[in-house]
Amino acid sequence: MRVTFPHMGNLWIIAKTLLEDLGLEVIVPPLPNRRSLDVGVRHAPEFACFPLKLNIGDFVGALDQGAEAIVMAGGIGPCRFGHYAQVEAQVLHDLGYDVEMVILEPPRGHLDGLLAKIRRLSGGKPLTRVWRAIRFGWEKLVALDEFDRALTRARPVERLTGSAARAHRAAAARLADADGVWATRRVGREGVREILCAAGLEESGRPGEPSWGKPFPRLRVGLVGELFMVAEPFANQEIERRLGEMGVEVLRPLYLSDWVRTHLIPRVFQPGRRRRASEVKRAARPYLGHFVGGEGLDSVGETILFDRQGCDGVIHVAPFTCMPEIVAASLLPEAGRDLGLPVLSLFLDEHTAEAGLTTRLEAFVDLLGRRRAVGGAREKW
Amino acid sequence: MAMAWQLRLKDGAVVGLPRALLFYELYPFWRGLLEGLGLRVAVSTATSPKLIEAGARHAMDEACLPVKSFYGHVMVLRDRVDAVFLPRLVSLSPGTYTCPKMLGLPDMVRQNLRSLPPVIVADFDARLWRRSLEEGGESVACRLGRSRGQAREAVSRGLEALRSFRGSLEAGQSFEEAASGAAPGWKTPLEGWKTPLEGWKTPLEGWKAPLAGGDPAPTRPGPRRLRVGLVGHAYNLFDPGVNLGLGRKLVALGCDLVTSEQLSEEEVQTESAALPKEIFWSSGRRILAAVTRFRRRELVDGFIHVVSFGCGPDSMVGEIAERETRRSSNLPYMALTIDEHTAEGGLLTRLEAFTDMLARRRARPETPEGSVAAEVTA
Repeated sequence: MRVTFPHMGNLWIIAKTLLEDLGLEVIVPPLPNRRSLDVGVRHAPEFACFPLKLNIGDFVGALDQGAEAIVMAGGIGPCRFGHYAQVEAQVLHDLGYDVEMVILEPPRGHLDGLLAKIRRLSGGKPLTRVWRAIRFGWEKLVALDEFDRALTRARPVERLTGSAARAHRAAAARLADADGVWATRRVGREGVREILCAAGLEESGRPGEPSWGKPFPRLRVGLVGELFMVAEPFANQEIERRLGEMGVEVLRPLYLSDWVRTHLIPRVFQPGRRRRASEVKRAARPYLGHFVGGEGLDSVGETILFDRQGCDGVIHVAPFTCMPEIVAASLLPEAGRDLGLPVLSLFLDEHTAEAGLTTRLEAFVDLLGRRRAVGGAREKW
Repeated sequence: MAMAWQLRLKDGAVVGLPRALLFYELYPFWRGLLEGLGLRVAVSTATSPKLIEAGARHAMDEACLPVKSFYGHVMVLRDRVDAVFLPRLVSLSPGTYTCPKMLGLPDMVRQNLRSLPPVIVADFDARLWRRSLEEGGESVACRLGRSRGQAREAVSRGLEALRSFRGSLEAGQSFEEAASGAAPGWKTPLEGWKTPLEGWKTPLEGWKAPLAGGDPAPTRPGPRRLRVGLVGHAYNLFDPGVNLGLGRKLVALGCDLVTSEQLSEEEVQTESAALPKEIFWSSGRRILAAVTRFRRRELVDGFIHVVSFGCGPDSMVGEIAERETRRSSNLPYMALTIDEHTAEGGLLTRLEAFTDMLARRRARPETPEGSVAAEVTA
């Protein structure tokens, strides 16, 4: 069975590793691009949120390359994502694709359904084997997220625009080839060092000297919002790169590995994470007293925590019409006003133009720089 | 999550109910509950363009029309009442949610609107223990300083009114009729509400009987008025200020209306359980169940799905419903998207075109399927 899955940032690396390790033939869809987006927009429901449109584009691309089954995550609401797989199955079916959807959902009380699906995918391999595959994929994901984190530190101080990104690409390529948990860990450690070195940073991440033409001490901006939009550079128009090249350090609380830790691994095994989650919830409490699905509550809570960490501003990204993030975006201006923290909410979709986004980002960064210059800014960092 | 607030409201204090969103599903319950607690209830005035404009100024651009209208209704109430009732309706039946925006609505309203009177916020979440409509209602009563006995009595009064309201809706009455009939003893009449409309008034013949019997034999459409299945959220179907008098316009065009609100909770459950994955929004369940049932029983000549621009649940549910309808029947299905920019003229044109098409289809019942489809898409 040739399987495929949707793209979301670094997800494809872990998914490919995991599924291949289970002995399946994996077809990775082409990375999201203008063409796959056009296909998605044409066939997806008009008012579906942006990630669904990209999903459809990914699937069509992979099915045209011969994929026969799709592995997709599900959900239990209230965010729309929980019904993605059903709608996507209908769209693909009406397009004439004969495809099987394997939907992995958080189990409602019993694990049987999920386990049966995993066993079906793995062709009856023993669960210990499946576990090993998951471990291996997980290591790669963690390493890759570390690379990304290093890149956001390196970009604002690099001398030559793009040098850190080049080191990142090289490291990621070597990571993709790493076979085995130990090799992955080693490549991960080396990669981080190389990315930081490419920008003239020591391993500790301390900047040596200010780079020419970039504000120093560098501005720090928190990036919050809906998981897909934060994690997928094509969807957010490479917002991290744009900000980084303007000399801004982007802090992201939500990497894919964090999401997995928060949502898929029971909290009892991770006291630190539980503390963090309740800290976010407590921070959001004065503005939002209830979860609203998706990452809505986290967006509000993390914004307030970023303020406490002394960030210069927060950027909030979400797909157009995203329900949880609309709630968050209604509350963030009020929170920003109370805290004296500039917050920029960006609702993005297929109509978002690059120049418009760059203009808004530049204006926002200018504002942050000026605030710092006139002394209203923070000295905390 | 319980909010630790206490609010002392004297008997006879006026509590404002915004006439928007789930008001259209729960109004009799709120009224019964609050009046049972010795409070007076003031309902905001009917939705008007001016009210929507006022709400839209304070709400986010990306919010949907009903949410903007909710803001407007709260603004109407804020200087005129002793407290505004802002329930947080997370879930109305086990295993479902309402909508993320409703989960955050009390917070959004409190943050975005200034100078509000005290607000009564209460969580209602049927997925959790002790948070259903009954128990949530009781805890509201207790936190307003009422005794447990009075609370229980008020809740049962509210539930009684809600039952009779649902019964009337299911029998095919209009919202106005059902709401004012649900509690005849209430003193304040619903000012501004018009006398019921012709087409809504008559219970539709052939509608209730075949469903109740479970007999699959469809009632063949005979020589009768056109029948349109009007599906969508109650607050879109029943608020003429939001849907620009859609119901009245359709009736004037010679249509009878069957709405998704006419399905009983059991009927919704039955249809929903047959799906590969149950929809987790209660409104979505109802819409999909209505479309499926109306189609299978051949009860309607076509569907109009009233959708707010940017509605998340309906973007998914509507797609499923529409594709299912296309696949297994040749009934026309029109998704009517409304927002604060929708113009009455444009709406009327679309409705006329739609009803003309229904009438022509009926005039030639044996048209081969292909040409009908061509006609529909043309």
